[in-house]
Amino acid sequence: MARSFKDKVAIIQFPGVNCEYETADAVRSVGLGADLLRWNEDAALLEDAIGVIVPGGFSYQDRIRAGVVSAKDHIMDKLSELAAAGRPILGICNGAQVLVESGFIPGIHWERVDLALAPNVMEDREGYYCSWIHLLHGGTDCVWTSAIGNEKVVPAPIAHAEGRFTTDDAAVLEEMKKNGQIVLRYCTQAGLIDSSFPVNPNGSLENMAGVCNREGNVLAMMPHPERASWLRQVSEDLGGEWGMKRRKAGGDSGKMETAGPGRIFFESLKRWKEGGE
Amino acid sequence: MKTEAKLWVRLKVIDLVAQTAWMTLTEKMGFAGDLCGMLRYSHWAMEVEGESAGAVCEAIDREIRMDSTFTNQNKHYYSLAVSGGGDEASSGDLRIDRDFPRGESGGRIFACDLFVSEQGGGKDEGYASRLNARLDGAKVTGMKSGEVWRILVRAEDAEEAARKVEEMAVTRTRKHGLLLNPHYQAFEFIGTAEIDGQ
Repeated sequence: MARSFKDKVAIIQFPGVNCEYETADAVRSVGLGADLLRWNEDAALLEDAIGVIVPGGFSYQDRIRAGVVSAKDHIMDKLSELAAAGRPILGICNGAQVLVESGFIPGIHWERVDLALAPNVMEDREGYYCSWIHLLHGGTDCVWTSAIGNEKVVPAPIAHAEGRFTTDDAAVLEEMKKNGQIVLRYCTQAGLIDSSFPVNPNGSLENMAGVCNREGNVLAMMPHPERASWLRQVSEDLGGEWGMKRRKAGGDSGKMETAGPGRIFFESLKRWKEGGE
Repeated sequence: MKTEAKLWVRLKVIDLVAQTAWMTLTEKMGFAGDLCGMLRYSHWAMEVEGESAGAVCEAIDREIRMDSTFTNQNKHYYSLAVSGGGDEASSGDLRIDRDFPRGESGGRIFACDLFVSEQGGGKDEGYASRLNARLDGAKVTGMKSGEVWRILVRAEDAEEAARKVEEMAVTRTRKHGLLLNPHYQAFEFIGTAEIDGQ
């Protein structure tokens, strides 16, 4: 039988990614289908997909600059076409770097590279940084965050060395803010924006953690929702409601298999699909 | 006395980053006809106070050979050149003025050295204080670090070569530019020379 992505989310498998299987599992956890598509397969297969996710990892070993080599791959021609037509596309971590280097995000001038995900700038350290952080949701209607209420806080893990959203174009930043494209910002557990480390874990401009295009169908986010889609994935040390829930569930395998905070991004996609796309 | 020191470091083995850049530029970005070769170096340009160019060269050489932040002799070739007060001194096993990749022949070929540095981040201060903590009889007063891409292109003249290299390097759109993102990286040409057909 011919391969098809009908009623499925396509997860793009660039050489060097390492989160594709757990991303597919996280999509399936909300009752949607998911399958992997290698970067050198027939991109026309994506035509039928509900949406596309560019997962995390180290595509092309982060050579030259994280995400830039994948951004030049031919499969991105098809993603560009789908994104411009309104198909949901999510880039997680390395996937976010690919979308930024492709000029899909912020996408104010389509395919013009108006942002960078630069090396982290942190207090007393440099390089790779892993931790749980908090995200404040707000801004425009975005397919991938539609199930999160405005001003709600979502905890999620991060793991990256090049996650600092930045631009040298003040007009682009103003336009992004005006359009409400900064949908996820690093914040404290209580939802306060604080630009200092470790609340802002990488020195990101405006505490940006996730930026969508103007139309809200494409989102680039540095945190990993697929690593927070089950309660068992939540850190026992995490503060707040989710940490408490996790500690209470200790030893109860049934509860541990319930939803974690990151699942809401995939539930948002499901809501969009059920709402008639 | 004020001197200028330039340190160039490159891998002894095949540089897979440069190889990937080459393949991306030629196979995915349409530069197969223009690009004749690529090498990548780590580069430090320093201002150093010291007794003489020779003394500064000796002091820096002693430190960089023992500090893998700069060179690891198992992995790297390096070239250190110091000038100041009419004097010059050098050390290392890399002849930077003769270090060209093997490439194609035919037409005029120019080697363009494109220096790429990060804006902000405090790396330069870190390198300077690392050296100053150990240097004997010399003091680093200025530091500029980054990568140099030595890019060999086929062109009619040096201006056209520089234009082609800039087009290859500076990421402006999804399909244009690869080696640097101008939103956090700066670039400058630090050398362009026509080389003999190889």
